[in-house]
Amino acid sequence: MSSATTTEIEVFSGAPAPPPHRPRVLLVGTAYAAGASATAVLALIALYARLRADVLARGEVWLPEEANLQLTPGTMGMATLLLSLPMVAWIVHALRNDDRGHALMAYGVTLVLGVAYINGAAYGWQQLGLGITSSTQALLIYTITGLHVAMAAVGLLYLAVAAFRTAGGQLTGRAAEAVSAAALYWFVTVAVYAVVWYTITITK
Amino acid sequence: MTVTEAPRDAALEAAAAPSPSAPPTGLAAVVGSGDPRTIGKLFVGTSLLFLLAAGVIGVLTGVEVYDSTGSEIFAADTLPRMVTLQATGALFLGVLPLLLGLATAIVPLQVGAATVAFPRATAAAYWTWLVSGALVIAAYGIDGGPFGRDVDAVSLYVGALVAVIVALAVATISVVTTVATLRAPGMTLRRTPLFSWSVLVGGSVWLLTLPVLAADLVVTWVDLRYGQQFLRGPDGVWERVAWMFWQPTLYVAAVPALGVIADVVPVFAQRRHQRHRVAMFLIGAAAALGTGSWAQVGASADGSVNPTDWLFEGPWIAVSFLAIVPILGLLGLWTLTLFTGRVRLGTPLILVVPAGLLLLLGIGAGGATAVKGAGLVNTTWMTAQATLVLLGAALAGLGGVAFWAPKLYGKLLPDGATRLGGTLVFLGALVAAVPLAVAGTLDQARLVSGGTAEVAPGDVDTVEVLNLVSAVGLGVAVLGGLLAGLAMMARRRGEGPGDDPWGGHTLEWATSSPPPIGHFASLPEITSEAPVYDARHAAAASASTEAPAR
Repeated sequence: MSSATTTEIEVFSGAPAPPPHRPRVLLVGTAYAAGASATAVLALIALYARLRADVLARGEVWLPEEANLQLTPGTMGMATLLLSLPMVAWIVHALRNDDRGHALMAYGVTLVLGVAYINGAAYGWQQLGLGITSSTQALLIYTITGLHVAMAAVGLLYLAVAAFRTAGGQLTGRAAEAVSAAALYWFVTVAVYAVVWYTITITK
Repeated sequence: MTVTEAPRDAALEAAAAPSPSAPPTGLAAVVGSGDPRTIGKLFVGTSLLFLLAAGVIGVLTGVEVYDSTGSEIFAADTLPRMVTLQATGALFLGVLPLLLGLATAIVPLQVGAATVAFPRATAAAYWTWLVSGALVIAAYGIDGGPFGRDVDAVSLYVGALVAVIVALAVATISVVTTVATLRAPGMTLRRTPLFSWSVLVGGSVWLLTLPVLAADLVVTWVDLRYGQQFLRGPDGVWERVAWMFWQPTLYVAAVPALGVIADVVPVFAQRRHQRHRVAMFLIGAAAALGTGSWAQVGASADGSVNPTDWLFEGPWIAVSFLAIVPILGLLGLWTLTLFTGRVRLGTPLILVVPAGLLLLLGIGAGGATAVKGAGLVNTTWMTAQATLVLLGAALAGLGGVAFWAPKLYGKLLPDGATRLGGTLVFLGALVAAVPLAVAGTLDQARLVSGGTAEVAPGDVDTVEVLNLVSAVGLGVAVLGGLLAGLAMMARRRGEGPGDDPWGGHTLEWATSSPPPIGHFASLPEITSEAPVYDARHAAAASASTEAPAR
């Protein structure tokens, strides 16, 4: 066995190494987490589409007669989330310019829009007219939309933590990676909802 | 609780400054630690215990099916549950966390980072995994698990398995992000050590696979809690999980194992890895081909499964055969590296070469499964295939532990016990898998779907003997694992092995064994994938040119 050690290797002695750079650790980690969350919801969407295709191929109707899957709540949810996108961009922009006042205002509007989306989803469940035990379709609709609401709740929590840190002066124009990461998670959340909305609300 | 997270600068400052309070010791030091080496060792040690337990259950089920006419050990309806417990334990509590633990401890060292990207999240992931894993096992104890009779206990199994998956995913995000963002200056992706590369690509595919299983389990949990109409209640649970044990998804569990082998072989060949970039491509291809969440049997609105989905025609068959190519290519490169080098038969090499052979056999068996008309789907041929792949990955993990023991424990493992243990695991895996494969050709169905029910009457005796031989083989593998585990606990006595006992090539060998908190006081210049090898040869060349001048 070689007995080479650190001290025997000349290249390791001498001048200290340059300082390590830490490029966007939180952003990359959040990207992986957002990708994993999106994969979970999209997997259920794939299951939903697959089962619906099977039923339609048999010439049957997918949604039960008693289902009241209205366009309005789902579309309002989509619109609400779309409105939140420029607000999130506003947060990032304001913070990069060290404009904490505007950033906090944008946080507030985004959080209100996020809560409004969750409220709208709850209203949609109330109006659906299907018990969760009534059919496979109901089971899948509740599970998919519920999982997405959970994803949105995580995104809101992430934004809320960033808001508190911004208010406390921890996040500034030079140290705004956490905001970029929270914004990325929120963008992915909205993108995933677009798929949920199209699959469940639009094409039914 | 104190969390010993250690960015490099902070660690150096802390070492220089007087400590206001004594550092935690004993249990507090373990429970409160965010040190990747500590968490990695916990993952490795606990997962080996779970693997041994899964092996023991496998032996018992093998003995049980030796005589298909009478049930001696388990009640008749318990046998399928025990088979699912063995499989769940082997993959989610054994092989995946074993490789993940190794990655947590070694990857930061290999890429020149002071710690993993998210030390607290990694620590939280370990403890969540441990508690959830215990709940998975507890669920079986109260008549839960797939095919259980108590719906609440079955729900507990499903919920706890979701938590296990989330914990594994969080730990995976941490190591994958470490490779992606915390590489030392000069370490481009192309210069990334092959184990770290395999963790990056394999972990990324885990993150595309595990959430799909989690989503499947969430909908299963909702179904169990509210009506049991979609997935046939407890009897349908295993259909939602079983695809993880089939090709191609199973292969992705073994991708970091390929990285372990790829890092060990050149060190013991005493030369660079041949065609490093080709090896990176092949490992990436193995990960890409292992992306298998599309290959589920599917479900229909009336609760039946539909295995004749078009995906199981062309795409599944193509991937089953293509998956053999990367492993064959890697074995070719490793053979070339060994033949062109000066081979030393170190313990890690003796463990990882058989591991590579087991993986080749397992993936090759997958190709045979896909042969149309062979009728091997849903037979014990597939069980044999899973046994080969999982034990191959576990053996590579053991080889990795032996290789990186100086970094993990500050000591080498005892050669004799580790070599004997590894050899027994290899031989046991072969003796366990080959009879099952032969029984599969005689139409023995997988044990969760009927066992010997489909076997021709004239072949029943033969199949029962094969099952017994397989159980003996698994017992030998368990014995080998136990021996290797004891070797890990014993370690070598006396002085430490030195910083680089093997003559390593990659960055982890440029620091002390065991490494200090913060890992590196200074980093070497990195101009290739083997900076320590480069430095050693530069020093040797410099010494040889200076010698005549004197």
